[in-house]
Amino acid sequence: MMMMPAPVPNSHPYSAPGDEDASLSSKLVADRYLKREVLGEGTYGVVFKAIDTKTGQTVAIKKIRLGKYKEGVNFTALREIKLLKELKDPNIIELIDAFPHKGNLHLVFEFMESDLEAVIRDRNIVLSPADIKSYLQMTLKGLAFCHRKWVLHRDMKPNNLLIAADGQLKLADFGLARIFGSPDRKFTHQVFARWYRAPELLFGAKQYGAGVDVWAAGCIFAELLLRRPFLQGSSDIDQLGKIFAAFGTPNPSQWPDMVYLPDYVEYQYVPAPPLRSLFPMASDDALDLLSKMFTYDPKARISVQQALEHRYFSSVPAPTKPSLLPRPPPKGESLNNKPPDLNAPDGPLVLSPPRKLRRVTVPNEGFDGKNYQPENADDDQFREARQAENQSTGQSSKVPMSIDVGALFGSRPFPRPTLNSADKSRLKRKLDLDPDFENPR
Amino acid sequence: MAANFWTSSHCKQLLDPDEVDVVHPLDRERGITQEEFRLVKIHMSFYIWKLAQQVKVRQRVIATATTYFRRVYTRKSMTEYDPRLVTPTCLYLASKAEESTVQARLLVFYIKKMWPDERYRFEIKDILEMEMKLLEALDYYLVVYHPYRPLLQLLQDANITDLTQCAWGLVNDTYKMDLILIYPPYMIALACIYIASVLKDKDTTAWFEELRADMNVVKNISIEILDFYDTYKIDPQKGLLDEKINPIMNKLPSKA
Repeated sequence: MMMMPAPVPNSHPYSAPGDEDASLSSKLVADRYLKREVLGEGTYGVVFKAIDTKTGQTVAIKKIRLGKYKEGVNFTALREIKLLKELKDPNIIELIDAFPHKGNLHLVFEFMESDLEAVIRDRNIVLSPADIKSYLQMTLKGLAFCHRKWVLHRDMKPNNLLIAADGQLKLADFGLARIFGSPDRKFTHQVFARWYRAPELLFGAKQYGAGVDVWAAGCIFAELLLRRPFLQGSSDIDQLGKIFAAFGTPNPSQWPDMVYLPDYVEYQYVPAPPLRSLFPMASDDALDLLSKMFTYDPKARISVQQALEHRYFSSVPAPTKPSLLPRPPPKGESLNNKPPDLNAPDGPLVLSPPRKLRRVTVPNEGFDGKNYQPENADDDQFREARQAENQSTGQSSKVPMSIDVGALFGSRPFPRPTLNSADKSRLKRKLDLDPDFENPR
Repeated sequence: MAANFWTSSHCKQLLDPDEVDVVHPLDRERGITQEEFRLVKIHMSFYIWKLAQQVKVRQRVIATATTYFRRVYTRKSMTEYDPRLVTPTCLYLASKAEESTVQARLLVFYIKKMWPDERYRFEIKDILEMEMKLLEALDYYLVVYHPYRPLLQLLQDANITDLTQCAWGLVNDTYKMDLILIYPPYMIALACIYIASVLKDKDTTAWFEELRADMNVVKNISIEILDFYDTYKIDPQKGLLDEKINPIMNKLPSKA
């Protein structure tokens, strides 16, 4: 039988609705919210879907677990509350309400249908240049608003860019975000999932600015173009190697401060291949913007506002209207779709970890539950598979909930790195418990 | 200013002078006058400051904690929200919000050490319970701006950095009043520079004229600050005398 999969910490909690589960009793929380099914496990508590009886709106409610070690309201949650109360923008997730209930703090967010990661990895979706432009523009608009308010997001990645029912993309997950702008303020460099980390962070910079979010947005742009994560390093050293292989080893004239960074190590010189060779399908304007977002010296890197004013956004094609953007089908229906043809010869190979491929199903002959890779599974997968069993979809109940395509075809990619528990505990130690950290008096 | 004050929740929440210092009906029933309400707030500002000295946090955390404390009592009664518990909890919450967390057990330890009075003693769980209630009372708005950073920038701009210590001390003292709930922080900073320059005989008239700040507001704040010093003449180390504050605190219910 199937094992209960371990929850993946960063699988996005606001999205991923299953069909409504009748076994969950509906009740009114805080005299206002009609509780529906659990959506997932977030970084600091359970997230469930609910109906706001006051407005009729569907919402996602995060129940914040109380911190361990008797430390009250979870520090990360408090940070998210603090910043989201200041950030109201169409491209930033809205914190609608917060309330205590049975001793736990609950945060009410607008309900989001999907996320950009699901769009990128869905092989049934074709993203036109205009669609890519639209998704990037919304990402940058949300980010520009943060930066105008002097907030660094510090965890930009497709999984944290949620998509609303009307197609609007919104930045979410401000648990790592910080207010910046204080002179000489030192920050931890252990932020961002590795593939989205700017080179200055990988070299251990403690004083950094909005450029780190720009770099990550550049990675997301590249990922939209390539339909796979762009720079998939397996360690920090390897990540820098991947960056240098793509853009050439930087020399000090390009980035004078580099050699003074705490973790600077010299890399063998490699020349930059033409950017065109990495993104054969991109327009000249797109390549120009990409190269400016991937400028090594953070001081010379384009700002988000400048990026929005770049001619890429004013040249044809115009960005697609959000409501017309291609999106994955609502997740509960996905298993009814015809499985995509995995043997298509020239389709773009999605180099995503297995959990990203949960919608890829194959006929059941020859596969059974043993092929299933539990280490990268998440709750949604489990639920979808269970639904597949319950709903009569014409498929056998033995259809595995997901297939590790990499293992099958021999090109198994790295799992997408997230902040692992070691990173997290290090972060936590630095941020929560060390009173002298960032506190140069 | 580092972050944008004008679009912040702090700016939107600024109050009119007659909206602060209003004694809650429940406290009035217990015989608390407006003057006594003011004294409790002064007393508790000292309390935050003394406790903060023990746990060693930045000035900014103290200022944020004091702002939370003052905001809470524009909305809640001291009868229902015991200031003796609200005060350390504000410091606890502010330390988290300002990214330099102080552990609750540390606060509890120092409170026990510093204040022999039983009615000031609380356990960790009391602080954690109150934290949740404070978040609600503050409507989850936690970002607060302070005069310190604009102060340094303005002093630099006016080329009178030798007044820094004096003006900084004045800013510290403004937290014994409700000014932070009423005026934009940079206006408070300007008032402190104005007073400091008068005290130290520096002519800043030309500089103030060039700034085009509303001098009426600056002067009003300055007068309030000077009135405060005149009225209370508080020992800056000890705070209010026990015989002055205890009778007032005795009117409030305590956990005991």
